[in-house]
Amino acid sequence: MAQAKNTAEALRPEDFVILRERSAPSDLLVREPVGYWKDAWRRLRRNKVAMTSLVVLGLFLIMIIIGPYLRGYDYITAAPQYKNADMSAQFWLGADALGRDLFSRLWVGTRVSFVIAIVCTAVQVVVGCLYGSVMAYFGGIVDEIMMRILEVITAIPSLLITILIMIALGNSAFSLLVALCIASWCPTARVVRGQIMQLRESEYVMAAEAMGERPMRIILRHLLPNIMGILILDVATSIPGYIFQEAGLSFIGLGLQTPAISLGLLISNGQAVMNSHVNQLIFPAAVLCIMVLAFNLLGDGLRNALDPKFRK
Amino acid sequence: MIKFVLRRFLELLLALFLIATATFFLTAAAPGDPLLSRTLALPEASRDAMYAKYGLDKPVLERYVITMKGMLHGDFGESVVYQGQTLQTILRDKLPVSARLGLQQLIFGVLVGLLLGVIAAVKRETWIDRCIVVFAVLMMSVPELVLGLIFQKYFAGTLKLLPVIGWPTGKDLWFGGWKYTILPTLSGGLLYIATYSRLLKTSILDVLDQDYILTARSKGLSEPRIVWSHIMRNSMIPIVTRLPVTLAMCLTGSFMIEKIFAIPGIAAYFVEAVSANDLSIVLGETVFLAALFITVIFLTDILYTIVDPRIRIQGGKR
Repeated sequence: MAQAKNTAEALRPEDFVILRERSAPSDLLVREPVGYWKDAWRRLRRNKVAMTSLVVLGLFLIMIIIGPYLRGYDYITAAPQYKNADMSAQFWLGADALGRDLFSRLWVGTRVSFVIAIVCTAVQVVVGCLYGSVMAYFGGIVDEIMMRILEVITAIPSLLITILIMIALGNSAFSLLVALCIASWCPTARVVRGQIMQLRESEYVMAAEAMGERPMRIILRHLLPNIMGILILDVATSIPGYIFQEAGLSFIGLGLQTPAISLGLLISNGQAVMNSHVNQLIFPAAVLCIMVLAFNLLGDGLRNALDPKFRK
Repeated sequence: MIKFVLRRFLELLLALFLIATATFFLTAAAPGDPLLSRTLALPEASRDAMYAKYGLDKPVLERYVITMKGMLHGDFGESVVYQGQTLQTILRDKLPVSARLGLQQLIFGVLVGLLLGVIAAVKRETWIDRCIVVFAVLMMSVPELVLGLIFQKYFAGTLKLLPVIGWPTGKDLWFGGWKYTILPTLSGGLLYIATYSRLLKTSILDVLDQDYILTARSKGLSEPRIVWSHIMRNSMIPIVTRLPVTLAMCLTGSFMIEKIFAIPGIAAYFVEAVSANDLSIVLGETVFLAALFITVIFLTDILYTIVDPRIRIQGGKR
């Protein structure tokens, strides 16, 4: 140590001579640096299927917002004179068993299903991230206990929990949200834990710790942003699952119930009249399938763009 | 190893206990009185007797202790809605129905799925591969609910090829009445085709990149030998990991399919019991299904550590 100090004192700036300046033109040969996100976006943009899905989802989003008001009909009050009306210029997709415009109802239903899926995914990712990163960051006994809790929860078939919660809380959008979210964060927490375990030993975490940063801040500012790619992938692949579950539960009568409107309920109503008025079943089913298909294809595209394992 | 098994087993018991407790309190907290419709017309004294018979006159905590004690002896109590029915009689009647449906879906779906997966991997980057990939993504995006309804409408309704609803019972329970089972099997099985073909294809392509395949080639092994004892053996590992869980899910029935085709299985009955607030049956079925599911996962975990030494080292990565 003392020797190093001596050396530092012995060397003065004047002792150094610039031998040769770096020639300017060589800078021009270096390509502009391409970051992870820029690279991922470039890969995604080149993927025609994923971009088409993105456009389709964008159109759906617009229709979810403005769709119900386009035709200006009252989609809640029954109008018996239009009962089961066929497709026409007046009712683009026909009217349902109570004479309400199916086109407007379809977009309201899509909105409800979509919002449920988004909220559930948000809860899943936030809870999963916090749980997983706390588990991985602290390690040791904390990790051990939290992991055992996680294992017990994942052991229970999720559909059973969902149904039980729906019985206890009654049929409403809120209880459906609780029921769908209650166990869904577990896989996310596992993935986040694995990822953060790897990043835990990085130099920048050590640097942050040395500077006296609080653990929560290290997790939020340093660790989570570095696994953002995997989280985005998790979001894209989780949404279709929730759309399916909402539709399925509402269909068997354990999800939302009329007078609420959702894709599952519209399909369930459509089934009742599917022999005479197939349009009431086909359109909600088609919207459901196209939306899920778009999310699945976008998810595949994102996986290729974001996951280093798939980069070839 | 023994420590691992023991730990998992204790976790299993804890999970079951938690499920039973949670289910009991959730159903107890549910609004609605299961005996209301049956006792409405009865005089006061017989109504009280009815409540006493099912133990519903006691406070919740006392009922909880009684129920948990009974559960240890496999006694879940009599159905509140259907007289004389217990969990055992219901399982005896309904489980074979769900099990046959599930097994047919599983066998059909997994076999065809694996076949398509191999074809897609062998013919990769050709139109055959692309067709299979597109088919798989389409099938994953159409819920079995919609698939079931559409099959029912067109194959049974419009074309009148197959019966609309129903399920073989009596002596046809296991082998017979095939025409009733075709549509439910198809609507549930297509999803397995999609998942398993995708899984196997990715897995095969993964294995092809490994160094030991190159080693096998450079040793001059014959092509069939490489394919069967190196590529296939290794790429089946993720499939085998997945199968037991799929099997457990199959046995416990499919809620949508049973509802659409009016199949008298345990999943359909569960929904019915839930709607009718049939406390003891809901509790019993939940614990039974959860126990089945958890046991399968437990056995799989142990099987793995024995079969694949790598998992033991990696710490059960799945």
